[in-house]
Amino acid sequence: MVKQVQDAYIVAATRTPVGKAPRGMMRHVRPDDMLAHVIRRALAQVPGLDPAEISDVVVGCAFPEAQQGLNMARIGAMLAGLPDTVGGITINRYCSSGINAVQIAADRIRLGEADIVIAGGSESMSMVPMMGNKVSLNPAIFAGDENYGIAYGMGLTAEKVAQQWSVSREDQDAFALESHRRALAAIESGAFTGEIAPLEVEYRRPDLERGEVQVQRRTLTTDEGPRRDTTLDGLSRLKTVFDAKGSVTAGNSSQMSDGAGAVVLVSERILRQFALTPLARYVTFAVKGVAPEIMGIGPKVAMPLACAQAGIALGDLGWIELNEAFAAQALAVMRDLELDPARVNPNGGAIALGHPLGATGAIRTATLVHGMRNRGQKGYGMVTMCIGTGMGAAGILEIL
Amino acid sequence: MSQTKFIVRKAAVLGAGVMGAQIAAHLANARVPTVLFDLASDGSDKSAIAQKAIDGLRKLKPSPLACAGVVEHIRPANYEEHLHLLKDCDLVIEAIAERMDWKTDLYRNVAPHLGEHCLFASNTSGLSINALAAALPAALLPRFCGVHFFNPPRYMHLVELIPATGSDPAMLDLLETFLVTTLGKGVIRARDTPNFVANRIGVFSMLATVANAAKYGLRFDVVDDLTGPRIGRPKSATFRTADVVGLDTFAHVVKTMRDTLPDDPWHGLFQTPEWLERLLAAGALGAKSGAGIYKKEGRQMRVLDPVSGDYVGAGEKADDAVKDILKMADPAARFKALRESAHPQARFLWALSRDVFHYTAFHLADIAHCARDVDLAIRWGFGWSVGPFESWQAAGWQDVAQWVAADIAAGESLAAVGLPAWALESDRAGVHFASGSYDAANGTLAQRSSLDVYRRQPAPARVIGERVEALGETVFENEGVRAFTSGDEVLVVSFKSKAHAIGPDVIEGLNRALDLAEARFKALVIWQTEEPFSVGADLQSMLPAFLGGDWESISSAVRRFQDTAMRLRYSQVPTVAAIQGYAFGGGCEFAMHCDHVVAALESYVGLVEVGVGLLPAGGGCKEFALRAARAAQGDVLAALKDSFMAIAAAKVGTSALEAREIGFLRASDTVIFNAFELLHVARAQALALAESGYRAPLRVQRFPVAGRSGAATIKGQLVNMLEGKFISQHDFTIASLIAEVMTGGDVDEGTEVDEQWILDLERKAFMQLLQTGKTQDRIANMLTTGKPLRN
Repeated sequence: MVKQVQDAYIVAATRTPVGKAPRGMMRHVRPDDMLAHVIRRALAQVPGLDPAEISDVVVGCAFPEAQQGLNMARIGAMLAGLPDTVGGITINRYCSSGINAVQIAADRIRLGEADIVIAGGSESMSMVPMMGNKVSLNPAIFAGDENYGIAYGMGLTAEKVAQQWSVSREDQDAFALESHRRALAAIESGAFTGEIAPLEVEYRRPDLERGEVQVQRRTLTTDEGPRRDTTLDGLSRLKTVFDAKGSVTAGNSSQMSDGAGAVVLVSERILRQFALTPLARYVTFAVKGVAPEIMGIGPKVAMPLACAQAGIALGDLGWIELNEAFAAQALAVMRDLELDPARVNPNGGAIALGHPLGATGAIRTATLVHGMRNRGQKGYGMVTMCIGTGMGAAGILEIL
Repeated sequence: MSQTKFIVRKAAVLGAGVMGAQIAAHLANARVPTVLFDLASDGSDKSAIAQKAIDGLRKLKPSPLACAGVVEHIRPANYEEHLHLLKDCDLVIEAIAERMDWKTDLYRNVAPHLGEHCLFASNTSGLSINALAAALPAALLPRFCGVHFFNPPRYMHLVELIPATGSDPAMLDLLETFLVTTLGKGVIRARDTPNFVANRIGVFSMLATVANAAKYGLRFDVVDDLTGPRIGRPKSATFRTADVVGLDTFAHVVKTMRDTLPDDPWHGLFQTPEWLERLLAAGALGAKSGAGIYKKEGRQMRVLDPVSGDYVGAGEKADDAVKDILKMADPAARFKALRESAHPQARFLWALSRDVFHYTAFHLADIAHCARDVDLAIRWGFGWSVGPFESWQAAGWQDVAQWVAADIAAGESLAAVGLPAWALESDRAGVHFASGSYDAANGTLAQRSSLDVYRRQPAPARVIGERVEALGETVFENEGVRAFTSGDEVLVVSFKSKAHAIGPDVIEGLNRALDLAEARFKALVIWQTEEPFSVGADLQSMLPAFLGGDWESISSAVRRFQDTAMRLRYSQVPTVAAIQGYAFGGGCEFAMHCDHVVAALESYVGLVEVGVGLLPAGGGCKEFALRAARAAQGDVLAALKDSFMAIAAAKVGTSALEAREIGFLRASDTVIFNAFELLHVARAQALALAESGYRAPLRVQRFPVAGRSGAATIKGQLVNMLEGKFISQHDFTIASLIAEVMTGGDVDEGTEVDEQWILDLERKAFMQLLQTGKTQDRIANMLTTGKPLRN
């Protein structure tokens, strides 16, 4: 089935630390600045590469408007100092935007029409809120009953999955706690050091008494989301927010976040030409739809499809970055596919680390590549997530 | 009288306890920037104690803050670092713990830092003001007095103003003016006697309740049922009030009485009962510690059995026979029946009244300037609907005096002293008269205060027996309204209906008043003689048409309602609504359509129609759609969303300031603090509009609406609330209709409509809902129980 002419390889992968939104450490960092930063830092990992050879910059973003509108990919590329000749395209499939950017970049190479493409994602949920600045639904959604699911908020879909797959509140809270535990362990062991591109931020506040601008500078190196004070007891006491009698809480859902990631993909020719060591080989990507009201179950259909395309079994995946949009959906997917919990999100997931929507795919690609290599794992790994309005996406990489 | 101005640019409150913090909050409500002091704490933030108290204000119920933003005007401070801030404060109120030595230490500490013109006052509830004054430098004495607020200070109307011997009378007048107009309080001048007026009588009443409950062997929950709303007192009655105040505080007040009133003939009563000592020893201090006289176990409320010391299931009520007596409308018959009944509950109530009458009459001469001050102090400070002298007088002075005297003679009373001679005078008909209220110390009748500030109260709080004539000269009157004028060319219209509900007579009367105002007056003011402003449309009046299925006549009644609202907006004279208490539904809509609203701080405004399964159809939806179109900067829906939620969730602003935040009041509307000044200010505003060359607003030609996409976007939210089980299917139906009306119906986004277009949508949606079974159930429930039904 695969009609590729060559393989695509990841030679650099990096990300910003992830900040909490809307009041976190990166609330004043523009998403296009975050993007320019990770593009520069990714290219710095392959110093020999001639930027003029880059054909395009593909960037995922779930709400490409306002600060992240105006084709942020092109703006980010130019702010990063790339030559005018390099293209830029911003793409959107909500939460899979980042992994789709990697897929589109890889496919351009695999088709033989490009040799170097940068893929990435950037999202500031501090600046552009979930659902964007202006929501406008089509009246046709309410003409009959069959399309109401389009209007479901994500939390409500998680409640539907929790009910339909009988995922208990206790299991969700335990899963959330484990996410924090793993994330904190990873931070302490320095597991993220290789993938995080430290971000210099400036806070500019008026000193009203002196009449001057007070500039405070900080270098951010660590994800802001994981909490040391999380306890099962604390989690169990949180109120449900999406269903009066439900089980989904702020504590067992992903956090709103700010962040960006970037990956450099090249062809075999470029590997040889610049004597580069590939970090991973891009293998395949699959997407498939489900009913919008149970969108969280999406990975259940996308993961086997991707594996089938790659000719491998789910059991061959040594590391799975399964985006924890909600503990309820992550657990439902893991149980139905009988995934080994030890291989899913070994460094924690979005409940602890945060989920900057369209950037997550690119950020977790960096986590997957560096995570497996840090632990000396070779073979297949996957980045997968559910997607609003009912889809699942899964991308497979091979660590060489 | 010569008065100079007293401007409070900034105030300070010393002591960030329950009272201090709440007094600071109320000052901030009144837009007085306030510094709240407490002791310096260890650690990096030395003002942590005051800061914690300020944070705590947000959590208190009922809220001391009139709206959330108010808290920013309270600055935390400590005595170690911030005494220099006192220099700029025009008013400093001390509200620390009731210890003479702590207070005098503090006074010596702060006195050097007070500004030259600063007024310094103590909120002590019982200590002697003159004794406190002794700790102050001579220069400060003219500017020192007591100001005693009642808990919770935002809501309790009373402030006792207690002069010290050195207090400058002019200063007292200025402070009284500030307390009355700026803070909205009811001021009683008290003498410097222990516990002043309200607490002296109110706490005595509680002790007499305890003593008589023991004598007649009544359970505490039964006592509370007997001494609450059934006799015109607050729901928390006696023991629940003690729990809320704090049993330690209560015991402290009793101790103060014991220590400071050694010669009071009732001195033997000033003891904490043994059961109370046991509770205190066990740390059961009342509501704040989770257990007191009452204790909540799971969902079950339990009450202390004073004999066994155990908690037993609470909720026992008064006997029906006694309830029937209390329902008797004639106070004379009621007291007679209570006294003659053999039922212990009835005998208890008589004994309690007798002891309070006895005590109050005995002490009138030493504690208060006149009987009116006692009655108003108890009404405003303890929430009684009628003061003790008023009760006595209403029941027939002579009969009650004889009964009390006979009980005293029979040794039934709590103290073996006789009634004062004046109370037994054979020609005495009472203490309150048209010509004044009895001053027992001088044997004269005391007039009301002549202070300028009271000229702002054309209809002040009255006591029984005082001359109360209808205000102004009646210009027109029907079953629904009375319209009058007081010679200032302003026509004032007041509703006569129960809770000022708006039925056909009110609509008819209001239209007639508008005709008259346009023909002969400069302006029209809608003002009620008492709260509430209006609970909205009179559903009861619609009932016959409703039961007969005469939808056409209901629809035309709604149309008439809408037309009246529109007349208030477009009439040829300025219209001003003076609101206080509830302004619900149609009442809110009428106010929103007036040119100007003057709202007392304690106004509770909302479009609450969803509670009866309907939507605002008197122009409320239209008005918010219009205001959203005007406020929108390209996005009508964004400007509309909050007001949609306010209607769909029947949100009620918990103060006039909050009503302004929600949008029921405009930024240009006036908020005042003393409801007794409403008419004065409303007339002034109406005349100001008239004198400024008033022209009726031009008809709004066209304004943009959010259209069908806007409605769909709102429905997207509603689907989530429905599926999340936060709202019922019928809530969803109502809210969807509200969304469709407010977004202009089935038209494209951004297209333009006129006011009548949305009024017609309101009316059609109203009629559609009225014909659903669930809405009919909601209405029936409201009419029978007075409570909204969620179905």
